[in-house]
Amino acid sequence: MKRIFITGLLSLLITSVYGQNVEFKSANFKDDKDGLKKATDNIKSGDEFFELGNEAIFQVQSPGLNYELALNHYLKAQEFNPNNALLNFKIGVCYANSPYANKCIPYLYKANELDPSCDHFMNFYYGVALQLDEKFDEAVKAYEAFESEYRKADNFNKFVSKRKRECRDASGAIQDPIRAWVDNVPALNSEYNDYAPSISTDGAEIIYTSDRPNGHTPNKAGSYDKDIYSSSISERKWSAPQQLKGGVNTTSDDVSNNLSYDGTKMLLHREVDGQYDIFESSLNGYNWTSPTTMPFQISSKRANERFAAYSEDGWSIYFNRDNENRSNGFDVMYSSMQSKVQKNYMAAQMISTVNSKFNEGPIYITIDGEKMYIASQGEGSYGGYDIFVSERSQGTWGKPKNMGYPINTPYDDFFFSSTANGKYAYIASNRKGGQGGYDIYKVTFWGPPKAPVMASEDYLLASIVNPMKDNSIESTVEVKKKSFTVFKGKTIDHMTKKPVEAEIEITDNATGKTIETFTTNSATGKFIITLASGKNYGIAVKAEGYLFHSENFDIPEGSADNLVNKVIELKNIAVGSKIALRNVFFDTGKSTLRPESNTELDRLVKLLKDVPSLKIEISGHTDNTGSASLNATLSQDRAEVVVKYLVSKGIAGSRMTAKGYGSSKPVASNNTASGRQENRRTEFEIKAN
Amino acid sequence: MIGANGFSQIEELTPEEQAYRDSIKALNLENEAIANSQEAYNRGIELFTQKKFNDAIKEFDKSIKFDPQFTAAYYNKGVAQNEIQKFNEAVKTLSKLIELKSDYSKAFFQRGRAYQGLSDYLNAELDYDKSIKLDASNPKAYYNYGTLRFLQQDYDGAIKHFSKTIELDADFVNAYNDRGSSYRMKKEYSKALADYETALRKNPKMAFVLNNIGTTKTKMKDYAGALAAFNRAVSIDANFHLAYNNRGVVQMHQNRLDDAIKDFNKALQVKSDYSPAASNISGIYFKKKEYQKALEYANKAIQMDNNNAAAYVNRGMAKEMLRDMNGACEDWQKASELGSEAGQQYYSGNCGI
Repeated sequence: MKRIFITGLLSLLITSVYGQNVEFKSANFKDDKDGLKKATDNIKSGDEFFELGNEAIFQVQSPGLNYELALNHYLKAQEFNPNNALLNFKIGVCYANSPYANKCIPYLYKANELDPSCDHFMNFYYGVALQLDEKFDEAVKAYEAFESEYRKADNFNKFVSKRKRECRDASGAIQDPIRAWVDNVPALNSEYNDYAPSISTDGAEIIYTSDRPNGHTPNKAGSYDKDIYSSSISERKWSAPQQLKGGVNTTSDDVSNNLSYDGTKMLLHREVDGQYDIFESSLNGYNWTSPTTMPFQISSKRANERFAAYSEDGWSIYFNRDNENRSNGFDVMYSSMQSKVQKNYMAAQMISTVNSKFNEGPIYITIDGEKMYIASQGEGSYGGYDIFVSERSQGTWGKPKNMGYPINTPYDDFFFSSTANGKYAYIASNRKGGQGGYDIYKVTFWGPPKAPVMASEDYLLASIVNPMKDNSIESTVEVKKKSFTVFKGKTIDHMTKKPVEAEIEITDNATGKTIETFTTNSATGKFIITLASGKNYGIAVKAEGYLFHSENFDIPEGSADNLVNKVIELKNIAVGSKIALRNVFFDTGKSTLRPESNTELDRLVKLLKDVPSLKIEISGHTDNTGSASLNATLSQDRAEVVVKYLVSKGIAGSRMTAKGYGSSKPVASNNTASGRQENRRTEFEIKAN
Repeated sequence: MIGANGFSQIEELTPEEQAYRDSIKALNLENEAIANSQEAYNRGIELFTQKKFNDAIKEFDKSIKFDPQFTAAYYNKGVAQNEIQKFNEAVKTLSKLIELKSDYSKAFFQRGRAYQGLSDYLNAELDYDKSIKLDASNPKAYYNYGTLRFLQQDYDGAIKHFSKTIELDADFVNAYNDRGSSYRMKKEYSKALADYETALRKNPKMAFVLNNIGTTKTKMKDYAGALAAFNRAVSIDANFHLAYNNRGVVQMHQNRLDDAIKDFNKALQVKSDYSPAASNISGIYFKKKEYQKALEYANKAIQMDNNNAAAYVNRGMAKEMLRDMNGACEDWQKASELGSEAGQQYYSGNCGI
């Protein structure tokens, strides 16, 4: 590229933060002519390298050390006079074409500010600075201004058009970043260039290249030769990087290309006889063997080869090769073995689908062999090298696609090496924010969009909310307290005390029902039966020729002594016999016959009917309490009521008399309650038979 | 009343008479014990009705002590023990009862229920089966058998038993719901909905059935229908936290993220330790790219229930976006251990290297 220098032409009207353009003229440095002389000499020396550098990049070739060497001179002049537009421009151009590209921005901004017409390429490089600064719209304007001014009939405009396209692509990409983070890895980086990372697929080992000071002799630009370093992961942190042990590193450049997936072999490139060739080294214990040159099909004598990569199956080597006859820079080639034993590689072939008209760079094939990552300065880049991915479909590599922002930026973004699961990758980039020059970056892919787990809950089984209880229980029972009392006794003649066979009828007075009817033993007069406790019973005893006997008695509940033992004395029906009707009851103080009396009276009715000759007197008796006349009246009334009852049952009134004796005929003492009870009675006396 | 004083006592009893008297005495004692047993039993029932189950059990125990053959007392005691979830004791009581009366269908049913309470599904099934064999007309036995089949993911078996329940009692609402849920587990959503709707017709007040309709419609992506069902569910039961939560999920599907958050918050308002709602809020904030909030809510959810797999998944996602990859992987691993497919997927796809 021809450079055109601008001299003179300084607008006096320029005012800015940078002040005025200060020419390297004696008028401006009257007091320091020596300094001016040194500065102008430095500019002159720098210009020689600057020109060479410019020419190289115009031909898509490496500028070599030229810009670095130019810079060494320019920076000295800049120290003397920092306000010269053209010098600022040149320094900017040197940086823009170096690994330290982000350093170009302030110089180019300043040059443009001091004098936008200081150089014909000002607008172009101003555009470059704006592009790196991600001011894409302004960058495009600067490029367009350059295009309108540029009059030379060469094809430089292809670079401009490409730059404009890069700005548009980058602008869109930043609006729509891919799902990944790109993080600087401070543990691996230095203020020098650290690049060409390659990892084992378990992500545990990394090799990379650095031109950090290594104790060797620096080159004439003051830079050290590149050596290969390694580090390993321990507790999720990279260990301090160390130069590879063994015979890999030399005092000239050794650049790592690709670590085999298992971390036991590597490809690297070195400069041999003024051109790059590809070498291979193997891990032997802790040491890497001295690299051997790859066969001529890969490491040719005629061309530069670099950035080789293993194929997933180990049969092929992919690499970059440039071609003197073509102006497309480095292209992607591959060569495959015919036999793994003989390692006889076949002639390398170009993969036309992935190559551009500009330089291709480092290559990486994924462990599944489905994807190839290629760095390229070609179409679709956002500026400098970008990483592209090509997918293999039916044996053919597809058109590479830019991996997108933030993996790619307007700076150089290249090298790619990923873990087996594709979650992490390592790249190199000289983007802003690094530690200096190229740095190693770790890419963390988010993977496919993750959907949060949204929990909904149901009571699918009703019994969870509404337990199916069968808590219906068996129902209550009627408690029957049954206890029995043994009722034992005998019937005897009350006069003779001899046993009498008698007919006994036991009645439940509450219900009037006959419970038992039996006859006592004829020889002994004995009987024994069981009665339910807790009731009042009536007992009626009949025996031939004897007076009917009746009484009522309680059998108490829960009696401990569950035995009632009775002797029943029967009386002959002799005229004059008196029998108390103990089961005849009246309302207290009245002559109203209570219905419980009927059983006893009906028995008397039966006796009178059974023995029609019987004539009786019904007598009422009281105890001695109360008025004697009232007692007499009450006992008379009661006797009459009984007679009336008997008449109502069909007994002739003529057979009966009623007589109230009041308390005049006691049968027991009136001094005791039980005696008084004995005295309160209804009696009948046999008057005739 | 006139007394029995006319009798005089005879002192001696012949040996035969004495033996007779003793036999009557023994009979009296036995009768007294039965009466005591019956009285305790009746008191037990009274206490049971008052839901004083522990006291009821004491009375039934007394009743059994007085009369160890009184099977109804065992049965009631077993039911009372089931009521207070003393399932182990219920099994003992009812086993004793079954020894006494091996054809007591209801006793097998109750013991089945006790076994079910103890998660001893095998024995529970055997008992329900026996109960059904002894009395094929008890819909509850079929129903419980069906729920056991459901819990063991035998949905066809469950459907068969729920259908039999319905055949015996066409108004057995729970059986419709549960059969619907069985169909739903088989992804036969329209059949599921038909059963849920029947249950609802028979008892329109059952909010949980509406909730099931809602979640089923959500699965069918009928979000409008789901929303309507959840709305009805909360109109019946304004404190039905599940329905709020599930409505929130539908709102999320309809991309009304703020409404979704409101619903999840409502669920939390009703039930302050309802972990799924907090986890869901975390998910919404993740969608809104508010990762710090997503993290906070997932933390809350895990605090409420440290076995909430979804909360671990969501927290892992928030942590990843907050650049705590180690934390994210730990959470996904935990979620995976708790049986979350998403946790497993995220862990294997993002971690381990």
